[in-house]
Amino acid sequence: MGKFLLLAFRNVFRNRRRTVMTLLMVGGGVAGLLLAGGFFAYMIDGLREHTIQEGLGHLQIFTAEHFRRDETRVLDTGIDNWRQVAATVKSGSHVRGVAPRIEFYGMVSNGAKSSVFMGSAVEPAAESSLGFTPRLSSGRDLSAKPDGEVEALIGAGLARSMGVHMGDGLTLLAVTSDGALNGVDVQIAGIVKTGYDEMDARYLRITLNSAQRLLQSDRVTNLVVGLDATANTDKAAAELAPRLKGTAQPMVLKKWIDLAAYYLQVRNMFSGIFLFLGLIVFFMVLMASVNTLLMAMFERTREIGTMLAMGTPRLWIVALFMLEATLTGALGAVAGVVGGNLLGALINASGLHMPAPPGLTVPISFHVLHLPALMIGSSLIVIVSLALASVLPAIRASRLQIAEALAHV
Amino acid sequence: MEPLVNVASVSRKFPLDHSFVSALSHASLEVEAGEFLAIAGPSGSGKSTLLNLIGCIDKPTEGHIELDGVDTSKLSPGQTTALRRRKIGFVFQTFNLIPVFTAAENVEFPLLVQGIGAGERRRRVADALESVGLSARANHRPDLLSGGERQRVAVARAIVHRPALVLADEPTANLDTKNATQLIDLMRDLNQRLGLTFIFSTHDARLLEHTPRIVRLCDGQIESDTHAVVLAGAGMVGGSNG
Repeated sequence: MGKFLLLAFRNVFRNRRRTVMTLLMVGGGVAGLLLAGGFFAYMIDGLREHTIQEGLGHLQIFTAEHFRRDETRVLDTGIDNWRQVAATVKSGSHVRGVAPRIEFYGMVSNGAKSSVFMGSAVEPAAESSLGFTPRLSSGRDLSAKPDGEVEALIGAGLARSMGVHMGDGLTLLAVTSDGALNGVDVQIAGIVKTGYDEMDARYLRITLNSAQRLLQSDRVTNLVVGLDATANTDKAAAELAPRLKGTAQPMVLKKWIDLAAYYLQVRNMFSGIFLFLGLIVFFMVLMASVNTLLMAMFERTREIGTMLAMGTPRLWIVALFMLEATLTGALGAVAGVVGGNLLGALINASGLHMPAPPGLTVPISFHVLHLPALMIGSSLIVIVSLALASVLPAIRASRLQIAEALAHV
Repeated sequence: MEPLVNVASVSRKFPLDHSFVSALSHASLEVEAGEFLAIAGPSGSGKSTLLNLIGCIDKPTEGHIELDGVDTSKLSPGQTTALRRRKIGFVFQTFNLIPVFTAAENVEFPLLVQGIGAGERRRRVADALESVGLSARANHRPDLLSGGERQRVAVARAIVHRPALVLADEPTANLDTKNATQLIDLMRDLNQRLGLTFIFSTHDARLLEHTPRIVRLCDGQIESDTHAVVLAGAGMVGGSNG
């Protein structure tokens, strides 16, 4: 077996120029997949952490009622005793903190012009302890002190459409939990750019106390839980779920992945693009290699005839050709992995940025992740491709008529 | 005693356009074990065709061939391969060594195919290379060997698995006269020392001087079958059967 492998290995380097060309093609395919896949993985990972850090958190706790029906009045499916629930959750391992939230909507007016807002009420101290800091284009975050209760952050698009600036006063109008109309005056502390134009046109953030005063309720919509690492999400969820069973209101624990619809859409899209790229590389390597391997087979016709004459089983000839192709694939994969990682490191060091994609207002840094799973997967694609490409030449070689093959010039 | 090779009224026709060309016509031949036999004749006389048929790398259109008592026409492809592997050694006109293997590895190949263990392979390869006088060139690749050396490696490869029969198709065609004579002498020596049966083809009459049996072919038919009588220390005297 060792000699057989040696024969295959030496045959790979018999025609050095052709082998180098094949290795360049195979290595180029692998490197391309590593760069594309590494960049996609960076974008997906970045989007995941961005989504979590933008305020989604790793886990969220709602009342079970919240998912059973739509609210007829604001916060009527909210959490009553949320301080007690928060305290229960905070004692869990991997939990960094818990931030209560109220999601609400209403009208915002500056006296001259009104607009609709999608509001989020937060405890500034809890949010900042979890690293959930709004992306401010100007001004500052909501104050954690009592004076923060008259402050608001608004989206850049909303500020533009309302014609307001930092320090200007606004009146917020919303329907209370009793169905009455209520209003509260706030001052703009900062302008936020979320990165999404549609969000910026409706964004408003005030403190939890302001919102509870506006909505006339002590409830919160949900509790956002921040963990020490995204990788611990499943472990923490498994630990916390039983603790929530003893609460007065039935509770539901949602993981970030269950709530990140946009992230899932993007991830699926990139997976589809990567699969398509993988197929292109697979067929490119397959078609180019069939031709190369057929040429190699024709060149070695007399040698194959000699081996067959000496009583070499035809299956050995098939195995020899397939082994040579697989070795070529493996060597090409190694070259591709080395080349792809070097190129990736160069790109990462260059600090390049991609233009902002549609819907986003910030450019994306061009960074490539070095993922072992991607290296193994890309290598397997080309190795399998070459092994398949060798089937036809291998079968042709094994079926040669010995007398004709020996007379081949 | 049963002959090692029995060629019984064998013909071989090849298709050519809409008809057939006859390369060998009703050839009959018996070869005893231990013989050293030359098949002589001009180009196109059917020498290679006859050797291919005896070597089971081609099948006769008519007639049959027995090798060591086995009717080769009745064997399956797998059985034919196994028969060639065990019982026949080949020497080719163009040496046909595997270029990426060293001389020793080339000689080792038939043993590898037979599944013989590494230790036994090493011993037999060393013996075979020594018997052709190439022990010192064992680790050289074919491109570093002269034509004569390459053909001696091919002979070592043909005898290493101790076949019943060694077939050499024009083994001297690519060698100069000196190397050609040395090769025939080497084959004759192996025939006498090891008792191996050799059948080789040639169109060079000078190489037939020390050959005890010569089968002459012309236009696909056996023209003569000459047995020489060996006289101690006095060369050979001819006597024809054909």
